[in-house]
Amino acid sequence: MANISVFLCKCFGEIDNTINFDFLREELSKDPSVVLISIVDSLCLETDIEKTVSQIRESNSDKVLIAACSTLSRGNLVIESLIKEGVERHKIGLVDIREGCAWIHGDNPEDASKKAKDLINMGIAALQHKDMSDDMSVTVHPNALIIGAGPAGLAAAMSLARTGFKVNLLERSKVPGGMLKLISRCYPDNDDASNKLGPYLREVENNPLITFYPQSKITSVEGDTGNFTVHFSFQEKDSFIQAGVIIVATGAKIFFPTGLYGYGEIKNVINQMEFERQSLNGSLETKKPVFIQCVGARNRERPYCSTICCPISLKNASRIAEDIPGASVFILHRGIMTPGNTLEKYYRDTLSSGVQFIRFEEEQPPRIIGSDYVEAVEVYDAITGITRKIETDLVVLSTPLVPNNDNVQLAEMLDIEVDRYGFFSEIYPMHPLETKTDGIFICGSARWPVSSDHSILQGKAAAMKAVSYLRQSKIAASTLSRVPGLKSGHARVVPESCTGCGNCVAACPFDACHIEKLEGRYISIVNMMKCKACGSCVSVCPNGTMQIPEHNYRMVGEMIKMAF
Amino acid sequence: MLEKTKNIARQILEEKKASAVFGLMRNEWNIIQPHLFEDPAGLANLVLEPKWLLAKLAMRILRSSPENYKLAVICRGCDERALIELIKRNQIEKENLLTIGIACSQEQAAICLCDRPYPEKLDAGEKVSGVDPFQDERVRKFLIGNDKERMKRWADMLKRCIKCYGCRNSCPICICEPCKLEDDVWVQRGVVPAETITFHLIRAFHLSDTCVACGACQEACPVNIPLLYLQLGMRKTLREKYGYEAGLDPETKSPVLSSAFEKPDTDREFPDWINSLREEDES
Amino acid sequence: MNQPRILIFACKWCGFIGADAAGKKRISLPSRFRVIPMECASLVETDAILRALAGGIDGIAVLGCHIGGCRYNNANHTAIKRLELLQDLLDTTGIGSSRLLLSFGTAHEDYQFEEIIKNFFDELTLLPPLDPWL
Repeated sequence: MANISVFLCKCFGEIDNTINFDFLREELSKDPSVVLISIVDSLCLETDIEKTVSQIRESNSDKVLIAACSTLSRGNLVIESLIKEGVERHKIGLVDIREGCAWIHGDNPEDASKKAKDLINMGIAALQHKDMSDDMSVTVHPNALIIGAGPAGLAAAMSLARTGFKVNLLERSKVPGGMLKLISRCYPDNDDASNKLGPYLREVENNPLITFYPQSKITSVEGDTGNFTVHFSFQEKDSFIQAGVIIVATGAKIFFPTGLYGYGEIKNVINQMEFERQSLNGSLETKKPVFIQCVGARNRERPYCSTICCPISLKNASRIAEDIPGASVFILHRGIMTPGNTLEKYYRDTLSSGVQFIRFEEEQPPRIIGSDYVEAVEVYDAITGITRKIETDLVVLSTPLVPNNDNVQLAEMLDIEVDRYGFFSEIYPMHPLETKTDGIFICGSARWPVSSDHSILQGKAAAMKAVSYLRQSKIAASTLSRVPGLKSGHARVVPESCTGCGNCVAACPFDACHIEKLEGRYISIVNMMKCKACGSCVSVCPNGTMQIPEHNYRMVGEMIKMAF
Repeated sequence: MLEKTKNIARQILEEKKASAVFGLMRNEWNIIQPHLFEDPAGLANLVLEPKWLLAKLAMRILRSSPENYKLAVICRGCDERALIELIKRNQIEKENLLTIGIACSQEQAAICLCDRPYPEKLDAGEKVSGVDPFQDERVRKFLIGNDKERMKRWADMLKRCIKCYGCRNSCPICICEPCKLEDDVWVQRGVVPAETITFHLIRAFHLSDTCVACGACQEACPVNIPLLYLQLGMRKTLREKYGYEAGLDPETKSPVLSSAFEKPDTDREFPDWINSLREEDES
Repeated sequence: MNQPRILIFACKWCGFIGADAAGKKRISLPSRFRVIPMECASLVETDAILRALAGGIDGIAVLGCHIGGCRYNNANHTAIKRLELLQDLLDTTGIGSSRLLLSFGTAHEDYQFEEIIKNFFDELTLLPPLDPWL
């Protein structure tokens, strides 16, 4: 039994009307493990902290229990200042008797005092068994690895290189640029794609900190946060790169709507990408184009909105309406999606340029008239209720971006998550671009279909998140928390009693456990760099072998016994 | 069935597919006991009755044997499921285990309340249909009524407990060392009968998704507490909600261990034309 | 009749924040409940719940985050599945699943916390006292 000194805070007289501190002192003095009971006016003041620390030093106590306000108020401040004064974190306990007791039972001082006594007893019981997790640290490799040299990857590479870090840029195709290479103009500024891409391509060429690996494909990934080793084939030769962080900017794939609206069979039914190609090489000839939106999107198979197809149609429709005199341009849509601060104006501008919009219902899609060559499109206008026949010489299908085929494979190698459609995903919306594995970031259309502008933006953001890792020479596992300072420890296995049943491996949401055969039997091993101390493994461990020392079962058990 | 089993066992031993066959033997004093048949000649004494769970013993034999020791176990449905659960828990190496599956009789299934009285890999005997435990008169009588009545029935039963740990020790899947039931934090020590809510329910819940309903706990209980009834509700839930049953396949992990939610992507109804288009798309 | 005793396992990202907010607003609550903050609802051991019930506590509440809103990659989904299974066992034995309150996605806010606690107290008051020996 450790000796415990208890500090009771009156909170400037805020709670001693409700809680009877003399009663608490009396009750606590019955406990043989309590060696010091001190009632303080306001623990969060610096003067009182100093007094507290000197009292702790004078007494022969091993651990300190503070009964004050909750950790979310000023409790954490008190803990932090005690740690600064040299008291170890796992030797400090905090009991919340203000928010959790005095303030909610202000009408019943007697019960509140009893509750405070129980809460402090629970705190003492917990503190007796509180232990500290082991920690480990990894030397951070100073280089970054970026997968994919599209706009997002290029922007990330540029930002990282200009911050002074070496960047290895892997690309599947022969040249950098990604999908931006294939299109003529970008929305919403109608700028040439080559203008947008130019500075980045020059940076890749000229910045000695960026190494570009065309025609490469990742084969396996080893290592953890701060020190990944990525094996890949580079121009059909096996190679490997070490990196401190990985940025996934693999982009997405164009959906080819084979079989829809005669695509693939009828010559003048094309998709947006072919439209772009034709306008790039100048072979585009149309006066009466019809754009059909949501082809293969927002349906059962792909129930998502790809968000970029509406602006793309607006861009291409207004371009024809403005450039070609006498053109008649139709957009058949299921609701135009123009989110953000610039796209609504873009839509209004397109409207005023003479492009006509017809809304159709999902149940009644437009019909193509003509078997070898589309002469007209028949559509039921959902607003007016009239079926219209639109003469046309070109049907452009707006299709969504779909995830790359090898996303799942890559996600498995990198140990990150994909969403139900196959795009890479974050695990928590409040930590954007961050994945299940710390030190791996996602950006651009690999994460979700986005415009080139947003890709660049996300690439730069991911780069800055990566810098926060790269600038450290060593990373301790205990600091790998999404919310700084709030990691409670790591799971710990007692190898002697582990049966190797594998429940923890199945339950761990971060794949931090694995089973290893040691001396003829299987035991579970925890990877501290991955463990987030959620406790999923603890609750499924059949015999309590897996524990988080800061929150072990003995603590919980004793707290329950002392609860009333 | 016996002859067929003997033949299979003999073949395994002669072809050296396994180092030994593990089954039941009638010894010279006419007593039935588990036996390791290493010599094909010994198989003459092989018997199949009564029901005797060999899974845990087989695990012990395999664990104390050299790495390449292969064991063929003559097992019933429940035994096979238990072995598969032990494989899942890394207690048995899959490649070291052979099973000779034998089917149980209808009478045996009725006694055990077994809903699956045959192994997945059936080698000898005829499959008989299982019993729905919830249709059984004994179970119904025990589990009907409101909470209060049920609690009273359970209390009367569980008060008989002498805390012999027979239920735990006989369970083929209870493998932990040390066990939480011996830990003062969870179960008060030195108290008989055992604390109901902790001792019995902790044991029952630990087996919630691994119980193969072999009934060994119940058979081992010296005071006849119907311990299997504790598991029935949870087994039913697992089957109905997640389509999961313990011990059917070594690769399928318990749904209670994963965060996957069996929910449809979206509850929207989609018009038919989309499906027709999709079919065209795929072709 | 004695007020029921409630033990609350509150996820520190959700339920605990709700409890804290209720305290900050000084919402008056019945006193016989104790909160044990947890890292995540998935840390709540079923054994601890059973231990508490055996120790004379009438009701247990587990407060966790929204479905899909877990900090730990949907660890709370695992917790829900497991605790719902425990409710089954409690029903089988006649203890009653109503003694184990699962609230995932509520109790983020002070007033929600208040509502949940008060309702749970009312519910438990109607139940017969739990005999720890059954």
